[in-house]
Amino acid sequence: MRRRDFLKAGAAGSLGGLASGLGLLNWTPRAEAALIARTLYITQGNIVQPDGVSVFFKGFSATNATLKVPGLSMIVQEGDTVRISVTNTLSTSHSFVIDGLVDSGTIVGGQTKTFEFAASKPGSYLYYDKLNAPYNRLLGLHGGFAVMPGLSGNQLYAGSPTFKKQYFWIFNDIDPVWNERLRTGATPTTAFIPRYFTLNGRSQRPPGAPGYSDPNIDAGYNPETKLEGYIGDRSLIRVLNAGHCTHSMHWHANHVEWLTANGVRRPAIWLKDVVPLDNNMGRADVIYPFEPPPDAYPPVTMGHYVMHLHDEQTQTAGGGLYQFGAATSIMFK
Amino acid sequence: MGMGSGGGMGGGMGGGMGGGCFTYPGAPATPGIVTPHVTFVRGVYMGGSIRMDDGRNVTVWGFTDGSSGGMMGGPFPSPPIRVREGQIVHTRFTNQGMMWLHTIHHHGIEPSSENDGVGHTSFDVDGTYTYQWRASHAGTYFYHCHTNTVLHAEMGMYGALIVDPANGERRAFSNGPAYDVEAIWACDEIDSSWHSKSWDAGTCGGDAGLNNLNADYFIITGIDGKTSALTDPRVAVTVNRGQTLLIRYINAGYYPQRLDLSGLSASIVASDGRALPTPVTVTSVRTTSAERYDLILKPTVAGTYTVVVNYLHWVTGAVRGQARTRITVK
Repeated sequence: MRRRDFLKAGAAGSLGGLASGLGLLNWTPRAEAALIARTLYITQGNIVQPDGVSVFFKGFSATNATLKVPGLSMIVQEGDTVRISVTNTLSTSHSFVIDGLVDSGTIVGGQTKTFEFAASKPGSYLYYDKLNAPYNRLLGLHGGFAVMPGLSGNQLYAGSPTFKKQYFWIFNDIDPVWNERLRTGATPTTAFIPRYFTLNGRSQRPPGAPGYSDPNIDAGYNPETKLEGYIGDRSLIRVLNAGHCTHSMHWHANHVEWLTANGVRRPAIWLKDVVPLDNNMGRADVIYPFEPPPDAYPPVTMGHYVMHLHDEQTQTAGGGLYQFGAATSIMFK
Repeated sequence: MGMGSGGGMGGGMGGGMGGGCFTYPGAPATPGIVTPHVTFVRGVYMGGSIRMDDGRNVTVWGFTDGSSGGMMGGPFPSPPIRVREGQIVHTRFTNQGMMWLHTIHHHGIEPSSENDGVGHTSFDVDGTYTYQWRASHAGTYFYHCHTNTVLHAEMGMYGALIVDPANGERRAFSNGPAYDVEAIWACDEIDSSWHSKSWDAGTCGGDAGLNNLNADYFIITGIDGKTSALTDPRVAVTVNRGQTLLIRYINAGYYPQRLDLSGLSASIVASDGRALPTPVTVTSVRTTSAERYDLILKPTVAGTYTVVVNYLHWVTGAVRGQARTRITVK
């Protein structure tokens, strides 16, 4: 791959060489390492939850006038130099951290800090604000970061099973009592009792509900989130838990290949329909194989299925509204 | 188990089927229906009751063995579905949709959308629907209702689903380890404050408290794990030295669990209905909701081993409760 092709790929993402967080990421490896630059703005605002309640969040956003939770995800290549510039538009102190790769240190209110680090280790990472832990992270200051192995466009690590597409799935659990305390600068004093559960910042909507199938609202139809493919469209899912609760992911229609847990390659790849996800930055990498559903009779190659957390409290919003929680669609086209 | 009262008709009932929101009643013809190798008939009961060790009765819901149903009692957990690998299976499910809606999701079985039992991607059964599927992999599964699942699975609407090897041998999977004695442990927790709600609680909005499970009972395969499961023959296991025990362990609750085998060593040979590439030797297994683990034990030392299932807080990891049973080695 020559430099010209790299620039073309970069232009397609309009992010100066970074692949954005779209589910349909087409990653093309480069022969040469690159300098990848990115600017993020720490902003705050409110996001309306499925029951109509407006909740305070902070995020790593693309502009100083918007709020993005989670922040746009980034994919770079092993050996790249990553230059991040963070502008803190708020009055409170924050930071940008990827454990094992970079720590910006404190970025005080109003400050812009620019720092570089080497993308040294292939894998899936959460970038997040480590100050006032875990509160700033739970408020929404987190996003996905991935390092692709050099010269491999279709592997998680050198020698891993291959994939055709890749996704980030970032889970969060939201206790609005905590968010409101944090908005006022206070520290939460109550037990954490989440009332909203999100996947890439959104909850699912069922048919007939306001926002159903709207990709900006419905986690089941957001293109960064829903799994969609033809038979053979093996999809890598980089799962990151920004939230405070342990979860249990359940896929319908196919078992997944469970490759890593908390950043560590598993000794053997298990086929699972349920994969555990530790709280407070637990991680998992899995491949959803898009094979014909093995128990269908007569056999089928198309269908509409779901992935949901099986700790079913997460399938609610505001204490009810089953089907308005952390779930998404699996579309066999 | 007796005939409870109240059940699904408890406070807040919105007046039958019309009371629910975001439900999708239907009972179409099964696509491509054929004559199956085996048929299971299931109905619904909404007035079951189990007696806990402290003397309290807790209402449970579940599936009947047969198409009848209503405000009656029934077996808890629901009667097992047991088939052989390669068989085409019918689960003929009758639900009186004028009263409430339910489905059957064969968890871990991966059929067509119509037969997956998820309301919002197919239908909540209103009448009779025949789920058709073919068992591709021997192993341990379970089935449960997938309508207002957060409540219905907590209310007990689940049962074991076992796929045996095609030849019917007592093996964990085809050409897998043979066993002499089998235990099916579906480990679940109960928040009794959830057990007087309407079938459609929360579906139209409002705070039904379904985000916050505070369990006060911890059970193994329907038996209170405080004391009864230590000796109840439906749970406790006796095995002779030299025999092989297969434990089919199902996390049927919502909390993370840790199963401690009291020093006994087990080999995990399969999980979620798939054989492991290499068995793993353990004395303890940590699971999250709906995982299944198939454990092979070959105890060599006579004795009574108290197995403890720890139910863990999803934030703190602290033990919120325990259920106990026994493996007696003679």
